[in-house]
Amino acid sequence: MTTSILDLGADRIAETGAEGDDLRLAEALRQGVEGAYEELLNRFQQPVYNLALRLLGDATEASDVVQEVFLKVFRNIGSFRGHSTLKTWIYRITVNEAHNARRWFFRHRRREVELDTNPEDTRHWKEAIPDRRRSPYEVAVEREQHVMIEAALGRMNPIFREAVVLRDITGLSYEEIAEILNVSLGTVKSRILRGREALREQLAGSLSIRPALRLVPKTAE
Amino acid sequence: MSCEKVQKQISSLLDRTLTAGEREGVLAHIESCRECSAHAASLESLRTELRSLSRPPIPEDLRARLRVMASHERERRLVRLSLSSRMTDWAERARLCFDNLMRPLALPFAGGSLMALITFSLLVPSLSFPHNFGDQSWFKPPIPESTYVPGVVHNAWIVRSDIAVPQGMNAVELTIDEQGKVRDYTVAGGSLTPDLQSIIMLPPPFRPATVLGLPIPSKVKVIEVMVPNNRS
Repeated sequence: MTTSILDLGADRIAETGAEGDDLRLAEALRQGVEGAYEELLNRFQQPVYNLALRLLGDATEASDVVQEVFLKVFRNIGSFRGHSTLKTWIYRITVNEAHNARRWFFRHRRREVELDTNPEDTRHWKEAIPDRRRSPYEVAVEREQHVMIEAALGRMNPIFREAVVLRDITGLSYEEIAEILNVSLGTVKSRILRGREALREQLAGSLSIRPALRLVPKTAE
Repeated sequence: MSCEKVQKQISSLLDRTLTAGEREGVLAHIESCRECSAHAASLESLRTELRSLSRPPIPEDLRARLRVMASHERERRLVRLSLSSRMTDWAERARLCFDNLMRPLALPFAGGSLMALITFSLLVPSLSFPHNFGDQSWFKPPIPESTYVPGVVHNAWIVRSDIAVPQGMNAVELTIDEQGKVRDYTVAGGSLTPDLQSIIMLPPPFRPATVLGLPIPSKVKVIEVMVPNNRS
């Protein structure tokens, strides 16, 4: 029973094979090699978009942040010396840009929305129109659960959300997260713990305990 | 081990960052504690749900915009890499900076220069300093000289015109024209003897003097050689 935790807790860290090519890719970018730009986009545009989306919870904001991130990467690739991996370097830029976007949003656009529009009217048309292509019940429940998790993520303290997103969604190691957030390992550990606890409390009762994850001892029949 | 401590370590347990001893202690506690077991299960479930969140594909328009941006940034970098382009770029920037710097100064500078020029022009005539343009003692024009065959010709010496005639000797000064012919003569000393007259009438060949390659009139002196009268 106890081994199930460890078995199912396998980390999902991938993309380690490409890290050895970071310096070569950075040098090729500095030299203006056409294929290098293509390679960089192919490797990082999807992960960066997903990270920005999870950090901001808004696709439009995430798209803007992704553009800013790659603009900074292209223009500052000369300053990349290989002290960290390219992935860590780009993710750090992404986190910083998302942080800036969030601050800008809270200063400007939130006020505009509050003053000018009715919150009911701000819902996307897809949310207002009933979805005729209903999935099966389980899919619907899962989808609902994901929506709840995303909403809970959006309500979290951004500091803890960054740590949880980088660890549990992006799948980075503690060391990489510490490097990206520029904090100590202990701080990373603490933020992940508090973030998970905050999420768990918000989602209390709504999380389905899957059979494979059930740790509660079965009672004898 | 208290439940509170265990529940704080469950997160690390899931991330496999506990030491072997800590892990054994936490697992043992979870096995025996229903509350901590439920806590661990909920955290594990949460983690699984987070991992299974949908990963929406990057929008096509964003993908296209990124490719366009990459192309522009590559072009920009290539321009910077080219030495000539970089020099041109720097020159343009320097010129722009200079223009921006000088533009506010151009009018005052031009006005100041013009006023200085006018003032200096007005003051120049009143300035006085010692000068003597008439005194050209330092300038000695070359003396044009005819070319001739020096030596005794018809019992006479032909010498340069600036050589003084010895006392008591007969001499004439001949003026040689541009063609090398005797144009005039004056008695330079003594008297005009028949021998001097014969030289004037039948002169030896002269080459006219030249200045800057052009023949000009010049003068030579003919001094009669006094032949001692041995017969007497």
